[in-house]
Amino acid sequence: MTSAFSNEPLAELRRAEERELFTAALARLDARGSLEVPVIVAGERRGGRAMFDSIDPAEPSRIVARASAASAADVDSAVAAAASAAHDWGAREAAERSAVLIRAAAELRSQRHWLAALAVRECAKPWAEADADVCEAIDYLEYYARAAQQLAIGPELAQVPGERNALHYRPRGVAAVIAPWNFPLAISAGMTAAALAAGNGACLKPAEQSPACALALYEALERAGLPSGALALLPGEGDVGAALVAHPGVHTIAFTGSAAVGLEILRRSAELASGQRHIKRVVAEMGGKNCVIVDSDADLDDVVPAVLESAFAFAGQKCSAASRILVHERVFALLEGRLRGAIETLLVGPAERFDTDVPPVIEAAARERIERALADAAGDGARVSRVAGTPSGAGFYVAPALVLGAGAGSAVVEEEIFGPVLSLEAVDSVASACDIVDAQPQALTGGLFSRNPKTVAEVARRTPVGNLYVNRAITGAMVGRQPFGGNRLSGTGAKSGGPDYLKQFVDPVVVSESTVRHGLAV
Amino acid sequence: MSLGTAPVALDAEILELGRRLARRRHSRGAATRAGRDRAMALASRDPQVRAALFRMVDVAPACSTPAELAAHLEALLADVDEPATAVRLAAEAAGGPLASAVGRVAAAAVQQMAGAFIVGETPQAAARVLRRLWSRGAAVTVDLLGEATVTRGEGRAYAAACDAALLTLAQESARWPARPLLERDGAGALPRVNLSLKVTALTPLVRPQAPQRGRDDAAELLRGLLRRARELGAHLHVDMESLDSRELVLELVMEILGEREFADGPSSGIVLQTYLRDSELMLERVLEWSRASARATPLTVRLVKGAYWDHETIEAAQSGWRPPVFTDKADSDRSFERLTRKLIDAWATERLARPAIASHNLRSLAHAIVYARHAGLTDADYELQVLRGLGDDIQESLTAEGLRARVYCPVGNLMAGMAYLVRRLLENTSNDSFLASRVSGATLDELLAPP
Repeated sequence: MTSAFSNEPLAELRRAEERELFTAALARLDARGSLEVPVIVAGERRGGRAMFDSIDPAEPSRIVARASAASAADVDSAVAAAASAAHDWGAREAAERSAVLIRAAAELRSQRHWLAALAVRECAKPWAEADADVCEAIDYLEYYARAAQQLAIGPELAQVPGERNALHYRPRGVAAVIAPWNFPLAISAGMTAAALAAGNGACLKPAEQSPACALALYEALERAGLPSGALALLPGEGDVGAALVAHPGVHTIAFTGSAAVGLEILRRSAELASGQRHIKRVVAEMGGKNCVIVDSDADLDDVVPAVLESAFAFAGQKCSAASRILVHERVFALLEGRLRGAIETLLVGPAERFDTDVPPVIEAAARERIERALADAAGDGARVSRVAGTPSGAGFYVAPALVLGAGAGSAVVEEEIFGPVLSLEAVDSVASACDIVDAQPQALTGGLFSRNPKTVAEVARRTPVGNLYVNRAITGAMVGRQPFGGNRLSGTGAKSGGPDYLKQFVDPVVVSESTVRHGLAV
Repeated sequence: MSLGTAPVALDAEILELGRRLARRRHSRGAATRAGRDRAMALASRDPQVRAALFRMVDVAPACSTPAELAAHLEALLADVDEPATAVRLAAEAAGGPLASAVGRVAAAAVQQMAGAFIVGETPQAAARVLRRLWSRGAAVTVDLLGEATVTRGEGRAYAAACDAALLTLAQESARWPARPLLERDGAGALPRVNLSLKVTALTPLVRPQAPQRGRDDAAELLRGLLRRARELGAHLHVDMESLDSRELVLELVMEILGEREFADGPSSGIVLQTYLRDSELMLERVLEWSRASARATPLTVRLVKGAYWDHETIEAAQSGWRPPVFTDKADSDRSFERLTRKLIDAWATERLARPAIASHNLRSLAHAIVYARHAGLTDADYELQVLRGLGDDIQESLTAEGLRARVYCPVGNLMAGMAYLVRRLLENTSNDSFLASRVSGATLDELLAPP
């Protein structure tokens, strides 16, 4: 059995020599020019399809990758190849499959600076976040490799004389992995690794914004000895995902993305295609509208930096990001003043600069959506204050915004903005804040700042969210330490990076055998 | 004896001096110390009670009424698994009809505790204590406590408070009696006014991965304070905090003190933390800078073991890093002695940097004193530093021994001083602190043995 799991160490970016490794990797990446991302089915690289580009959000004229878009026929053949490869792959010992994943983790580790550079360019993910993304990808491979071996042991069942009961898990078949761009390596790696570790074949459909990161993951698994066919890479837009979801050969759909798409997947996957002999299972991780409750006894010295990090790191483009601060009225004015001043210190700039606090958002459409939400809020009478000074040029920069007085019905307090926008609201008590949280349809992450253990216990009891963070930032869940996933409309409840996740990709089978012959237990 | 001689040869003298310092200490203020020692011992015995009390102290200034503080106390004590009778009764009282009274008592206790470590709410209010220390032969350095700086305005306010403190202290100290040992060493005059300063309080832009941002932001405020210090003939000492800001602080200080404008002063200093594995490299870097510097006044280097051990260890564990600090206390102690010798040698031979040896460990102090004497320094050529509240009796013994001791005196209100206070209390009750070993009855000679 493999050694116990531990998280991949983050880069110690406070050391100049460590920073230089990343800068050098970025220079190597830039020297390569645009990368080519093919469709890959059964190990075969297929070009000549319709092409689309992924670009640098800080410099949209820079094409990071040119990707081939998978066709309907590619999807068909990929599912067939994955199903066929899964027979052999799923029949292997868990330890053998795990060894492949652990080798893939080593592959990622050996090129961690390059991979981070890729995330910097393709997704405008600032270095610290990009590095954390690489580490999390490694963590998922390592964690699920171990979890698969644990799963293979199966749980203990009650035994009585004369019968032998056993439960084992069998892979469900083919998993469609529909991944987002905001954790271009980590979430793709997590969903893919879980499917593969449990013995499934997988078809990875990366976000159209980040195909090059997905290719890097694919190649790491390929070099690690994953049988060709067990994983297909299907770059493309929404139609590719939709084709996978509708495909009768797909058994499990692992999705991370918006609630709208997630709900559509749930609906479509419930339709039985002709010839389909199974119910599709959907593992969906959707958005949040995450609140941080600040009680009157909170230490504002801790609150301010934690809120800045939770709301504005990576320009708020994390499903776990904070978007509403519900602060006790007694400290509201104090917190408002300090938070406003602190937000003014945020430096908006390209992800490649180590001093950047807030990078550009992923694409022009995102910027327009965020600006529209802010304009609507202002139009409805909310006070919107923005950080002055975003870089000139074509980058998709959005000045961080603090919103006060946004009313019920405003997108700023009801919808996932997925941008650097924070609503600050006064409440008369922690109980009122809990009521507000409880009224929301989303329930992904939440935060609480309080120094009273009773308050902490009460909020923990009441909160509907999947991940509650107390006296700390509400982003940055670590594999194995904070299994991650939301409730209500935020997800189907499976916790990635936790002990239960792999079970989403297997079916349990119980075998009960009589050991009685001629009235004797033999 | 030649420089760099193996310290073993000094051990007998260190032991003798250590015993003498300890004897002097025990003859003074034994009664009040015994009370505090007992409280420390009580807090150290049950880690859960200790945690509850620390958390109560920590939250005290954020509570608006005694009843609110009592509610916290009750909730915190409820977390103790097997409460002793006293703890149970305290929890019950805090939750009962007399909650407000309990809260008032607790608030008063916190205030009193703070009073031992914090000399006053403002420099003006602290003046009396500072003067008394000086009159009794101890030099001082004042540190303005503050909440974290998260906005530019807070950075400017801190700089303004430092500026005002320099002015107040200059006025006050002009009336202090002459104390030649505290005012001159072999290299020249030593300012009476000595202010310790935190760069992370000057700027909200401390970004570990981008030291340049904080450096640029703090530079102008630091220049302003240096100008004021020069004008008043004061000493400005830049403190060191966690490793996350070390690069920023070192580069900032070296850059600005290297500017032509400050070639003639003011007197200034930095801090090196010997619990860091790479602290020797840092000392070499500082000495090298000093060697190349054209400044008229030598830099003062305050050597400390370091007060952010828990922070560094926790951050490293959570991030998967090798801890940047020594994990074995004896290694920190050895590093302290090694750097002490290096710093003293550099002062004795090249006048590179004034040594300021800051510790509450009698062995570390005695080692420095004995080594300095052997290196040919007079007792006036260097100084020893302690913290107000933790090292008061040590300072008195050092002063009685004819040495220059400087007391680090925090100034500020309870809200601003809470982080400092909690750190000091933790230090005071930590299992491997020199002070706690004294309480636990380890024999003096063991404590004076080489680390």
